[in-house]
Amino acid sequence: MNRNTIKVALIGNPNVGKTSVFNELTGLNQQVGNYPGITVEKKVGFAKLSEYTKATILDLPGTYSLNASSMDESVVIELLMNKNDKDFPDVAVVVSEVENLKRNLLLFTQIKDLEIPTILVINMADRMIPKGISLDIPFLEKELKTKIALVSSRKKIGIDNLKQLIINYKELSTEPCLNASSIDPEYFNSLRRAFPNQLLYKLWLVITQDVNFANLHRKKIEENSFAKPKADLKRLQQKETIKRYQFINDTLKVGYKVDKTTATDFRERLDRVLTHKIFGYVIFFGILMLIFQSIFDWSSIPMDFIDETFAVLSSYAKTHLPAGILTDLISEGIIPGLGGIIIFIPQIAFLFLFISVLEESGYMSRVVFLMDKIMRKFGLSGKSVVPLISGTACAIPAIMAARNIENWKERLITILVTPFTTCSARLPVYAILISLIIPDKRVFGLFNMQGLTLMTLYLLGFGMAIFSAYILNKILKIKSHSYFVVEMPGYKIPMFKNVAINVVEKTKSFVFGAGKIILALSVILWFLGSHGPDKTFHDAENIIETQLQNKTISGEKDDLVASYKLENSYIGIIGKSIEPVIRPLGYDWKIGIAVVSSFAAREVFVGTLATIYSVGSHSDEETTIKNRMAAEVHPITGKKIFNVATGVSLLLFYAFAMQCISTLAITKKETNSWKWPMIQLVFMSGFAYTVSLIAYQLLK
Amino acid sequence: MAITVAQLQRGQKGTILDFNIEEIPLKLLEMGCLPGNEVTLLQVAPFGDPLYITVNDSHVAIRLETAKEISIEIIDVP
Amino acid sequence: MMSFQEIIVYLLLGFAVAFLWKKFFGKKKKDKDCGDGDCGCH
Repeated sequence: MNRNTIKVALIGNPNVGKTSVFNELTGLNQQVGNYPGITVEKKVGFAKLSEYTKATILDLPGTYSLNASSMDESVVIELLMNKNDKDFPDVAVVVSEVENLKRNLLLFTQIKDLEIPTILVINMADRMIPKGISLDIPFLEKELKTKIALVSSRKKIGIDNLKQLIINYKELSTEPCLNASSIDPEYFNSLRRAFPNQLLYKLWLVITQDVNFANLHRKKIEENSFAKPKADLKRLQQKETIKRYQFINDTLKVGYKVDKTTATDFRERLDRVLTHKIFGYVIFFGILMLIFQSIFDWSSIPMDFIDETFAVLSSYAKTHLPAGILTDLISEGIIPGLGGIIIFIPQIAFLFLFISVLEESGYMSRVVFLMDKIMRKFGLSGKSVVPLISGTACAIPAIMAARNIENWKERLITILVTPFTTCSARLPVYAILISLIIPDKRVFGLFNMQGLTLMTLYLLGFGMAIFSAYILNKILKIKSHSYFVVEMPGYKIPMFKNVAINVVEKTKSFVFGAGKIILALSVILWFLGSHGPDKTFHDAENIIETQLQNKTISGEKDDLVASYKLENSYIGIIGKSIEPVIRPLGYDWKIGIAVVSSFAAREVFVGTLATIYSVGSHSDEETTIKNRMAAEVHPITGKKIFNVATGVSLLLFYAFAMQCISTLAITKKETNSWKWPMIQLVFMSGFAYTVSLIAYQLLK
Repeated sequence: MAITVAQLQRGQKGTILDFNIEEIPLKLLEMGCLPGNEVTLLQVAPFGDPLYITVNDSHVAIRLETAKEISIEIIDVP
Repeated sequence: MMSFQEIIVYLLLGFAVAFLWKKFFGKKKKDKDCGDGDCGCH
């Protein structure tokens, strides 16, 4: 590593504007990845501090203290305790906020105990005047044994000063600002004697935390009977916290003055409205309607554009590239596969736009507060609201959003039931089936029946999510404490830059995360659909040629060949072999093929049917596919295939079945086990099968 | 019987006396919910749970079951 | 004799299968190595 590159770690409580400081320091020069083996986001940025000095800046997950209660938080501890980690910082920058300095300093004193050079950033300095706050910086710097940078990331003040402090990090004191071991001198003295070469506070963290890297070491400590019962340890931790607050209070008594007369109670007045038992819900549902409006209405404009662009691109590739199997793969597998991912970008971007505005403004905490009691009746948490809303765009980011639910059982149930919510991949399937089987009429002269059906399907998905949560809550025997603590931050106007970066990052991680899986599957599915085992497949053109000459069939030759090939391809064979299983649901082998291939992503269903009914290669017009599907009759009975019974059965199947391999992958990642995605698959698809079976048998 | 945070009226203040350490999340302690500190009930969510309190300048929402574990002494407002 | 296009297609196919295999069945990377040397936790 370059000698003039300083490694900086940004640490701080949630809601202190740490990310804005990060964005100000690095601009757009940042990357998001994952920590090895876990799905916690790792944000690294690069900053030019001066002519000669550069810095890599690691934005660590927000944490209230070094006592981890979530996966995100343990990342912070593991990094700060492991000097050999390649990301171990030369200097720690603790970001605090001027209005919550007292609480923010708790983490600061803990970091200081690790004897890492530390800078204290006091952010939101622009709020000092309206809030009547004055600080004695020299006094605070002396007591806290650090350098302080007063920053306003909103007004872009103080960033240069911070950069200067980082450059001069070697001048920082590494002395702790208080002696935490005095809470139990006897215990800590014997600990010191047993491990003379170690930092006492590190030992203490190893004893109290269940952090990964320390397994070996923990055993050693336990052998030496330093382990204590959990309650005793917690009592000691309480003592430690009190001790730290004593020090902080004494320091702030001199260095931090608030003139209460200038302070306003804007927050409390707004809280009274936003958490009101009637207005609170009215406002929340108003915002929900706005989100749905954006996802389903506004996004349709860019989505149609993307759809057309990829169709054009695909046919362009087919006609302009040298003919051959690779060209087929590109035009029939890769381009449509990419299109299938990119088409979701508008919806996902809108969704994250709203969610990050709501989170930045502080409103999301009020929603959690408002919904917690209701959600808990179903074994969920108030914090499950975000995943369930996000699920209407895509289950993948939604499941990841469940991460900040601290109760494992509530988090697990949220993860398991989120895929029931109607994600946007179901929409194309619903759209074509509804237009086939539901008449375009109005009931009571007011509501469109097709629209009503779509709404029913949405409610059905959401209802099923809630209902299965309720069942899971009864079945799952996981004992876990509630530990529900939600900070209600002050209201802020969201900063454009933060929201924009967040939307871009989240969308990117969807495209490159789920996108890779969908793309890989599209390649495999294309292969299975365009290759077949026996002669009939290879002789497709000749066979169709003969049949055309004999007038046993009619139509465009190319379409018929494509259709015939698909029928005799590997996927066609799979579709046919599962026909006995899906027959009771009212599906024939053609629908079977579509069901199998849409296991990668639901929306593939429509495209596959288009190919099977040999309309795919020439027109992507929805009406054409629809007409072809409507005309499809059963070869023996002569009845229509897509009648009401089959249509309803299919709609229900897609409403409930776990037809999404990316969701299974993310569930496996988030629960760190094969058990839960398998349960999801068996339960959801089993339920879908049963419901569709009943529906078909009743309606036929 | 001791009064707990769960029994506070909206706008009422109390001083924290003690709590059942095993039932209180450590995070809450770290936010400053410690014996001797003042706690104010700001809002009660619809259906009576969770509670929105302020303690040690932190604004937090906790569930009723947690609030029941924190015993307090009510501060009379003159 | 396979054509140039076929070779690439089979390579891509193999790559896709390997990617998915790794994604679903691949072993997770080991947690941060802490076996030897002073990494601050011994």
